[in-house]
Amino acid sequence: MSYKNKFTAHTQLKMSPFFERTSKLNESQEWRRWAGYLAATSYELTHENEYFAIRTKAGLLDITPLKKYIVKGPESQRLLDQLVTRNIAICKVGQVMYTPWCDEHGKVIDDGTVQRLSENKFRITSAEPNLEWIQSNAVGMDVIVKDDSFTTAALALQGPNSRAILNSISSKTLDSLKFFWMMETTFDNIPVSISRTGYTGDLGYEIWMNPNDALTVWDLLIDKGKPFGITPTGLHALDVARIEAGLILLDVDYISSRHAIIESRKSSPYELGLGWTVKMKKANFIGKSSLLKELDRGSRWSYVGVEIEWTEFEKHYRDVGLAPGLPHTAWRTSTPLYFQNEQVGYATSGTWSPLLKRYIALAHLKSKYAKEGSELMFELKVEHFRKLTKATVVKTPFFDPERKRSCPK
Amino acid sequence: MSKIKKYDAIVIGGGHNGLTAAAYLGRAGKKVLVLERRHVLGGAAVTEEIFPGFKFSVCSYVVSLMKSNVMRELMLPKFGLEILPLESTMTPLENDYLIRTADSDQTYREIARHSKKDAENYMRFGPAMGQIGMAVRPILETIAPNPIRPSFSDLSATKRLFDHVKSLSSKQFEYLTKLMTMSSADFLDEWFDYEPLKATLSASGIIGTFMGPYSPGSAYVMLHHYMGDIDGAFRAWGFQRGGTGGVSMAIARSAEYFGVEIMTETSVQNVIVKNGRATGVSLDNGDEYNSNIVISGLDPKLTFLKMIDKSDLPSDFVSAIKNFRIRGSSGKVNLALDALPNFTCMSGDGHHLRGAISISPSYDHLEKAYDDAKYGNFSEAPFMDIILPSVLDPDMAPPGKHVMSCFVQYAPYDINEGWNDQKREAFGDAVINTISRYAPNIKDIILHRQVLTPADLESTFGLTEGNIFHGELTLQQLFSLRPAVKWADYTTPIKNYFQCGSGTHPGGGITGSPGEMAAKKILGAW
Amino acid sequence: MNNYDIIIIGAGINGLTTASILGKKGKRVLVLESREKVGGMASSMEFAPGFKCNVINDTIKWIDPRLIKLLDLNAKGLELVQPEILRIILGENSEHIAFHKDVAKTIDSIAKYSIIDSERWKDFISYIEKLSQFLEKIYELTPPILPKIGIKEILGMRSMLSPIRKHGTRGIVDLLRVAPMMMPELVDEWFENELLRSSISTAGIHHLSFGPYAAGTGYNLLHQHVHGNGLFHNIQFAKGGTERFAIVLKDYAESFNVEIQTSTKVISINTDQNVCNGISLENGEQIMAKQIVSSLDPNNTFLNLVGPSNLTPNFRKQINNIRYRGSTARIHFALSSLPEVKGVTKEQMKTIFSISPSVEYLERASDAVKYGKLSDKPYVEFVIPSVLDSNFAPEGEHVLSATIQYAPYHLRNTEWSDSVKDQLKNNVVDTLQKVIPNIRSIIKHTSIISPLDLENEFGLTEGNLNHGEMTLDQFMFMRPTISSSQYRAPINNLYLCGSGTHPGGGLHGTNGYNAAMEVLKD
Repeated sequence: MSYKNKFTAHTQLKMSPFFERTSKLNESQEWRRWAGYLAATSYELTHENEYFAIRTKAGLLDITPLKKYIVKGPESQRLLDQLVTRNIAICKVGQVMYTPWCDEHGKVIDDGTVQRLSENKFRITSAEPNLEWIQSNAVGMDVIVKDDSFTTAALALQGPNSRAILNSISSKTLDSLKFFWMMETTFDNIPVSISRTGYTGDLGYEIWMNPNDALTVWDLLIDKGKPFGITPTGLHALDVARIEAGLILLDVDYISSRHAIIESRKSSPYELGLGWTVKMKKANFIGKSSLLKELDRGSRWSYVGVEIEWTEFEKHYRDVGLAPGLPHTAWRTSTPLYFQNEQVGYATSGTWSPLLKRYIALAHLKSKYAKEGSELMFELKVEHFRKLTKATVVKTPFFDPERKRSCPK
Repeated sequence: MSKIKKYDAIVIGGGHNGLTAAAYLGRAGKKVLVLERRHVLGGAAVTEEIFPGFKFSVCSYVVSLMKSNVMRELMLPKFGLEILPLESTMTPLENDYLIRTADSDQTYREIARHSKKDAENYMRFGPAMGQIGMAVRPILETIAPNPIRPSFSDLSATKRLFDHVKSLSSKQFEYLTKLMTMSSADFLDEWFDYEPLKATLSASGIIGTFMGPYSPGSAYVMLHHYMGDIDGAFRAWGFQRGGTGGVSMAIARSAEYFGVEIMTETSVQNVIVKNGRATGVSLDNGDEYNSNIVISGLDPKLTFLKMIDKSDLPSDFVSAIKNFRIRGSSGKVNLALDALPNFTCMSGDGHHLRGAISISPSYDHLEKAYDDAKYGNFSEAPFMDIILPSVLDPDMAPPGKHVMSCFVQYAPYDINEGWNDQKREAFGDAVINTISRYAPNIKDIILHRQVLTPADLESTFGLTEGNIFHGELTLQQLFSLRPAVKWADYTTPIKNYFQCGSGTHPGGGITGSPGEMAAKKILGAW
Repeated sequence: MNNYDIIIIGAGINGLTTASILGKKGKRVLVLESREKVGGMASSMEFAPGFKCNVINDTIKWIDPRLIKLLDLNAKGLELVQPEILRIILGENSEHIAFHKDVAKTIDSIAKYSIIDSERWKDFISYIEKLSQFLEKIYELTPPILPKIGIKEILGMRSMLSPIRKHGTRGIVDLLRVAPMMMPELVDEWFENELLRSSISTAGIHHLSFGPYAAGTGYNLLHQHVHGNGLFHNIQFAKGGTERFAIVLKDYAESFNVEIQTSTKVISINTDQNVCNGISLENGEQIMAKQIVSSLDPNNTFLNLVGPSNLTPNFRKQINNIRYRGSTARIHFALSSLPEVKGVTKEQMKTIFSISPSVEYLERASDAVKYGKLSDKPYVEFVIPSVLDSNFAPEGEHVLSATIQYAPYHLRNTEWSDSVKDQLKNNVVDTLQKVIPNIRSIIKHTSIISPLDLENEFGLTEGNLNHGEMTLDQFMFMRPTISSSQYRAPINNLYLCGSGTHPGGGLHGTNGYNAAMEVLKD
């Protein structure tokens, strides 16, 4: 008696087109559910090697579970300009923009990238399903919105060696591909598109392809990437990298306003540190009037980086006779932050950065306490007892290498 | 007048609300007697071994709306309350199915198989309804104020509710208004496209009422079914181990623990009224019992028109009770099976049999079933809510055998030419034929079948017209108007006579709420 | 290019009412009407040579008394006549009940069928009158913004106190009981005779897509009887036809320099950053104004003229969710002689007839809507306007105008076409034949107006005559939507004054009156 032979394939957990390879590589057999797919938590028994692959070699991640939508038609630019906060009118063909989108009260629904594939064709990526929202806002416009989630497979190749690996496979060089731009090329005559994007804050690319070509592309990458240290990488390593890069994660760092249930769970782009994506100069977009008001009045909350100060942290452990208890993996449990005796915010993600050797976190803070350098107290449990330890508001990204944006001379 | 014994309170009817009221009074130290006409306790919430080895929740078959404070305060888990989760709802279709399971991601994928838009909306629908359920909760938990000559406490209750309503968001208020007034079909059309999903959701808007999914007002009944929670999870349905009677027995055991005396096979003839004041009850056998107060757990028609002499009641009240709409629309078919039914759309054994099976492929199916009833016939192809209790709890049937509970709509109480044995069997056949469309082996595996028409529900359980809610859940029969204006706070025009059945606010279902609130009202005034 | 204070879109009764009031207050008002004449649903037409008809409404039930007083309508040439017989309900055989202006005669007519019922009649009509008095006061209010209601809003509702003083809070409780009722529940409480029960039920389903078994038909019944002293008592014919009302309003407005342009179709309401600044005409002309008032239904106003992309997602959703579902058709018959209605004398013909043998008959007719079909046996209401006004037909000939329920706008597996219309006509003639046996032989011409025709000709979305169903979920603060029920669109400077606003449809001008007051406030 099992679901397997009862439910249709659609209803079961999905297997990505790379699953035939990834399942064999996954030594730990640790999987996470990601948007209805099985996704590797880590391929090896610990994720450290995978993390260092991202920062020193190249990590290969299956990102097929991302939701992908194609918007095409004469009014597709108009629709997207209505929908998202960034100015799509200035997005050139081949360019990619990272942007959130809001409800009419200016609260963030989701965030993702918009790729301009041609004058009148775009691809949107997102964490959660957004088809209904996009379609309902397309009413009366000459556009077609279609779900591309199952018709496009995707891999992320992230790390300093990623360009070299791709150059060794691609029919065209990637040397001139700029940060947040994309190109069409072929791998052994297989057409793929490559965007210089990622979720690690490092030099990296995302490769978009037909699912039928998935295994061939995987094999090519693994084969040609071997000399460059290509490493299949799971979500644990990614989580550490994205926190270092100061990148937010839906349902961890914020809740979609469409699912928030209560007002206080919703966040505006300003409250998520995404103020830079809100382009007030463009004509109109969903949420603009509310966001103008917020801009005027100031946001209640801010989203910042926090560093947990080492000496005091270490001392708490020393006091009970232990070495400092650093988290093994990135954590996602909301943790209170205090100013004196008052709770003024909470951290939503945190990790020990093995590269930076700093204990870092991303946190929501009442704006008054969010200034860089603000000294706060971070709640800690040491041997079952709560302690408060010093933490400071710092600039994000925590890690921002030059190679992320640069092109070879 | 052979026996004279004095109690603080006598409760007429050992249904779950009567028992709840009794338990609360007992808990407050009162000397309470419960009188039940049948040989079993529980009223509509009973378990009976109808066929040797096969046990049935004869009438009411699932639990969701039981108030958590009642469970806690009466210590029901200690007395045998054990609710097993119903994990899924499957809607079998001719060549396909729709299933919603406990895993929300899986439910998303399953609905997305039919409509992506619906799947996305469904993820927001549950929480939205839960929010409305929460918004309504304080209203349900307030003793309905008297709008005609409000007392100070009525005014302050009104003020509190007014403030509560003001605290709702515009969106909540909009949904609430719509749910109070619309048809469930129209309400769901605003959310979804896929017909079997809409029809199945709309079915909770017709259960227990004489309305179709297109009838305005059915959206409220749907909301009523969303107000339950088990362990804090809204909209969770469960099955009491050993059958629904187990819930009643747990309350009865709790009542006895608090010193309540319970007598079965003791039928009350009427309430004794002296100078406009209830002083006790007299039984069919001529015995009389005296008490300070009398509480009726029966429906409003029986509570007032049978138990009390009309001349003791104000005439406008009598006509209000006469005008109180109680319309029987549902039947129940209980089957003893040799094996499990085999559904064409999902054959064999499986998780899907651990949940509810809803015969609701389309609005048309439900509405046509209603049309039949509207004009005085049972539905040719009825709506059904089916569960297989023996899959959840093997003790319900002999090893390897099964019991199947089919809640059926519609079977009008006022059927053309009246109910008789032939009609009952024809009705049973219509049910089996409808099931066999989806599970063709059903006819071959039936060992016994029990068909209960609304007329049977009336004669067996004392439910007027066989209505499971003691009166339609229509807007004009809710809150301060249930069962009649001025008398919606569990009091009656007869001093010391109270009501605590589902015919009072907040209405039907195994909630324990009317019983609890009536007891609190009584104790507050004691 | 002219500059106006206010542009009003649509010259129906409400548009003209708003125009009249604003004109009188000295505003520069322009009214734009797409048809070649004013009146909207209060129009007449010549549907066959020499035969005239009231296109949609034969009667006027009630006109806002504030409007009558403010504009002194009676002195301005609007003559309303209440017929001696208000309505005749016909059963399947020649039995009928006649409702007279004189209550005693009505009681006699009922007594022929049930003495008990006849004895209750007076109580019943005063009960209905009592409830409608509460509704009257509610109708004169601009709905409060709910649920955030404050002292100001409560004070604004103090006019509700007068009916409360008269009838006690019991009156409100009764209103709350009756409004959500279905017709059988209401009539069960009062009457036993089926013909009488169905007579009352016809008021509950008037212009609705639902049948009498629908909860909330109680409210529709009360809506029909506001400002009337009891059931059916407010029926009036306008001398010269219903369009006289529109013409009087037009003359009045023009006397205050309101400019009315007919045959001028507005194709868009222009907005910039959520501020409305003018309109564009079909000919490309743009006209600016400080305030724009639309008397069109919400669908036309917002989706067709403002455009969906200029609405917020939530508001757009609310607008999309308004239920129209027109299910009423009209057929005008040109007849070669006076029809003979069974059991009814010639003198009794100056009335409204309805064929409704039983509540179940009405309900069965309504079942068709659910399955997207025409009623096989429709509910038919008819008037012979030519007996009231000889100008409606050539000498000796007559016009019979029938209102038919149910002819749903949304048909399943087919669309409105000539053959569907023929089928509708046949069903109607079959029904009429039972009470007018010679009907077939005297029909000279037929003009059929389907819900689709109503949409095309009068811009009524889905052919709904009320600009949105008259149901409790679309009542007061929910009409047209919870965020636009104060006659203001959620777009600055754009107002609504049509039947899609509180208090709904009918030729009463209350929407226009209330809207004008809100426009003047800003």
